[in-house]
Amino acid sequence: MTRDEIQQAIITILTKDFEFENPGLEDNLRDAHGFDSIDAIELLGKIELLLGFSLTREEKEQAMAIRTIKDVVAYIEELQRSRNS
Amino acid sequence: MKRRVVITACSAITPIGYGKDEIIQSLRSGRSGVSPLRDDGLLSKHIHSRVFGSVDYPMEYGFKRQYTKTMGPVAFYACQVAKDVLAQSGLDQEFITSGRLGVAFGSTHGSPTVQRDIYKTFFSDLDAKFSSIGAVDYLRSMVHTTAVNISRMFGITGRIIASSTACTTSSQSIGFGYEMIKYGMQDAMLCGGADEYDTTTVAVFDNLLACSVDYNDTPSCTPRPFDAGRDGLVVGEGGGAVLLEEYEAARRRGATILGELVGFGCNNNGGDLILPNLEGITATLRLALDDAALSPGEVDFVSAHATATKMGDVIEAQAIDAVYGKGPLVSGLKSYMGHTMGTCGVIELILTLYMMEQGFVAPTLNLEEVDERCRMLRHTRELTETPVRTAAIQNFAFGGVNTCLLVRDGRTAQG
Repeated sequence: MTRDEIQQAIITILTKDFEFENPGLEDNLRDAHGFDSIDAIELLGKIELLLGFSLTREEKEQAMAIRTIKDVVAYIEELQRSRNS
Repeated sequence: MKRRVVITACSAITPIGYGKDEIIQSLRSGRSGVSPLRDDGLLSKHIHSRVFGSVDYPMEYGFKRQYTKTMGPVAFYACQVAKDVLAQSGLDQEFITSGRLGVAFGSTHGSPTVQRDIYKTFFSDLDAKFSSIGAVDYLRSMVHTTAVNISRMFGITGRIIASSTACTTSSQSIGFGYEMIKYGMQDAMLCGGADEYDTTTVAVFDNLLACSVDYNDTPSCTPRPFDAGRDGLVVGEGGGAVLLEEYEAARRRGATILGELVGFGCNNNGGDLILPNLEGITATLRLALDDAALSPGEVDFVSAHATATKMGDVIEAQAIDAVYGKGPLVSGLKSYMGHTMGTCGVIELILTLYMMEQGFVAPTLNLEEVDERCRMLRHTRELTETPVRTAAIQNFAFGGVNTCLLVRDGRTAQG
């Protein structure tokens, strides 16, 4: 998936499944949208479905540094790169 | 330290209506909330009992996803009645989050709907679907899901008691909440119980031959507590909550006092986990009277557990007779809605509070010919306009757990 496709897919998930209103790429997920640890684990499950493969424990732990939608997109791009290399 | 404990708010979602006006109307008109069993696509076609006490009217909750993500159907009932009682009570946010308010709330087994979805995944082609078991499924389904979803939604930071003792779940919640306040551990407690639509429970009682099966075509004619033609219980669903407060604090803030909890009895039969036990039940009723320092003659009304099983009603009638004789009016309120399981104690307490306020006692529905083994009681056979000052709410559960709550009407409590 291209960066635009990933971005669109994530925004769709956050809007539909997490009921975000007008999500901005630079928004702090927790402060602006009440995104919490439960949501983070749920989102990782959805990212696995989106990518079609399961994440390793190490990959999941790396996601704990994510703060913004931009971070989510970069994280997914990196997952794709590492699996393709 | 022993402090007086009063009820300052209550709310119930029941098969005979949501809220005070609808429920009173149903009690006064003798409307049953028992309906045909719905097809659940799994167990229902194997169950002989085709009736259920259903909440079959639409509920609009309006809860935000921030909260609903950890809630199964049972927690929706719980949070709605909790929201109602907090609003009704007029308690301010500072008190609610102060740690002086606790929650005693339970359900029979969390959310069976969510548990069923988890098991569906377990028994599917695992690897590909394993990740579809959501991280929040445990939070939605766990036994204390009602209590902690309430505390999370309203920011309550006091003690959590999550009783889960089948049919005595909510009566224990109320009793333990009462003791928390009475002995100074908390200043207020939000107490109650909820149980969602669940055919697993029906299947269990069905297999025990304890469910009603003879009135499948006429659901409103069952259950029939104390009636010679009774043939078992009807499982139901619902939710109920009461707010308990320390009396002096409630008075100081000008709260409306709906009733006073004056006694709580609770014990265990110490033996068989299913069969009703006359000795254990009788002891519970006496424990509550001792706790309240009341004589049996001071109790005007008994809300009997009365599930309409063949032996349960007879044993309970013997216990009531042994303690009260023909003194108080006796009604089996499950006749209106079936057995709402973990919720029944709080719903029966709330119905009793409504009847105390309005000055009437609802009759036991479907009580056409009293079983000769239950005839020694003063059954409520018709709508009776009468003041009720002190009432007993009796509940008994699988596992041999027995409870009795004694409540005094609000006017008397206010002195």
